[in-house]
Amino acid sequence: MDLTDKEYVERCRDGHQEDFRVLVDRYQKPLFAYLAGRLRDGRQVEEAAQESFVRAFLSLKKLRKPESFYSWLLGIAGRVAKEQLRSLKHRQQDCEVTESIMANAADRREDYPLEEAIAALPESYRQVILLRYYEGHSCQEIATRLDLPLGTVTKTLSRAYALLRQELVARESAETTVNQT
Amino acid sequence: MNCAECRENLVACVEGLLDREESLQCQAHLETCAACRAEHAAISSLQRQLAARGPTTAEVSLVNPVMRRVQAMQTERERDTIMTKLFTRWGFGLGAAAGAAAIILIAFLVFPKAQATAAEVMTKGAQAVAKLTTIHLRGQLRTLPADNFSYINADCPFNTIEFWKQFDPDLKWRVEKPQRVVVMDGQSAVMLIKNSGLACKVPQSTTSAFDTDWLQQIANLSNTITNELNNAIARGWKMSLTNETGADGRAKDIVTIEAKSGLPDNDYIKNSFVNTADTRRVYVFDNQSERLESVKIYLHATSGEKLIFWLDQIDYNQPIDPGVWKLDLPTDVSWWQNEMQKLPDNDKYASMTAEQIARAFFEACSQENWIEAEKFLRESPVDHLLKQELGGLEIIQVGTAFTSQASLDQFVPYEIKLKNGYDKKLNLALRKDKPTGRWFVDGGW
Repeated sequence: MDLTDKEYVERCRDGHQEDFRVLVDRYQKPLFAYLAGRLRDGRQVEEAAQESFVRAFLSLKKLRKPESFYSWLLGIAGRVAKEQLRSLKHRQQDCEVTESIMANAADRREDYPLEEAIAALPESYRQVILLRYYEGHSCQEIATRLDLPLGTVTKTLSRAYALLRQELVARESAETTVNQT
Repeated sequence: MNCAECRENLVACVEGLLDREESLQCQAHLETCAACRAEHAAISSLQRQLAARGPTTAEVSLVNPVMRRVQAMQTERERDTIMTKLFTRWGFGLGAAAGAAAIILIAFLVFPKAQATAAEVMTKGAQAVAKLTTIHLRGQLRTLPADNFSYINADCPFNTIEFWKQFDPDLKWRVEKPQRVVVMDGQSAVMLIKNSGLACKVPQSTTSAFDTDWLQQIANLSNTITNELNNAIARGWKMSLTNETGADGRAKDIVTIEAKSGLPDNDYIKNSFVNTADTRRVYVFDNQSERLESVKIYLHATSGEKLIFWLDQIDYNQPIDPGVWKLDLPTDVSWWQNEMQKLPDNDKYASMTAEQIARAFFEACSQENWIEAEKFLRESPVDHLLKQELGGLEIIQVGTAFTSQASLDQFVPYEIKLKNGYDKKLNLALRKDKPTGRWFVDGGW
């Protein structure tokens, strides 16, 4: 039976480091999508994703709210991506390729708030979104897997969409405010 | 249908879950109500954004590489050495060729002089091939002709394995061994198992598929260097440099790396795949051009050291025949459905243990009941080689499942008598399919 993020984090802290495997499996795809919004090259994205998970594992004891594991992981990934872009820029300042990478990364910045908004969802809503869009399951398959009536899955999705839209609007207006000041 | 009913059913409508009448009612309301239409448009827009994530991440598989690093680092973190501090400080391992100067600096600080020089040779080797447009590799691998691309077996004879990769203008690659070939033509990756006439497809451009990661890594030398040096620092792998004169009379720099998988000796997966083996890797660079010329990988097995891979031809930036990116499929090719279907009596199978599934699978093979056997396989139809091998078998015993640190599979030891009288003792690999909740046979037959 699937445990919650909080329970898996606590088990890892208690010495069951193999359980970190489940958290990687659960969040590898959204994390990859989040990093793909910041970095261009597939290999860079994969390396950054690996590095983010490893850093998260090494810092698990510092995580104050284990239930916020995914949101915290995205914070780490954001820092890793920044380091990677800075490193590229520093190394190849005069190289057109780097300019293209940076420009491309900048162009794609609109992609990643979605993953941040997903991270802000309560776990039950987040779980349904991840299964539907990152694991590619149909609503019926999700219902079977979570042992829920189909109607509950569609209602959960409906509520998750509403929360996501609220979150995205809030983030957009916060960004607009920052840009105007 | 009023607004409240429409809103309540909107997601089910967009997902195509309403019956025909409800769907028509919903559509009719949407045509007359601007507010609900706006809500519908907003949901559809969000869905499109979310749906775009699927193809981007379909091939992502980070669990094993992350867990290997985690296990290695878990050991290392107990040694709060200068290595660990430098590793963190420099953010080492982040970019393929990023921070080459930092790599050399760290290597000089961390390693004895000989190892630092070895790192320098590899870094220069990466710089010498930094702007590759194409690469072609040809080597010999101890493996089975039709098996997984990363499968190794010290007892197998050498089989030729060949790899072509185009980096620019768009990514394309092809890997081929005698009975298995995969071509990624920029649009999709198609693998053909020649002696089975079976094909499988990844419907988008991808940097790696069908267990070709280790070859992709070798082809991207910058990446190889980052990975090798990263591991050398994090795991304490030994590196050394020697010099000799090659058959062409030119000076060669030879970098040797002792790579450790981090798996215990009794782990079943250890030494079964290139990335789960303890190996000695020998990289030969031409001293003048600084380019990599050959690679040899030796397996450290309990029975001693054995050469398992020898890369003896590397062509840099040579034009590649466009025919390489085409894959001729047999007219009667069978496409593997790589997805398990839910069964009418799915719960019965989902509640079975790995051992029970193994026994039921062998019983189906014993009776040559391939409809039943297919329920325990992810790929369909059933491979005719499997039918030939296992049809009419006799079960002698099925043991207790065990696990490996390097795999999501469970392994069930078994002993069977084949129709040709051969006694087969091996471990059946089983993996849980999440959508259906059923175990499927992942190998080992």
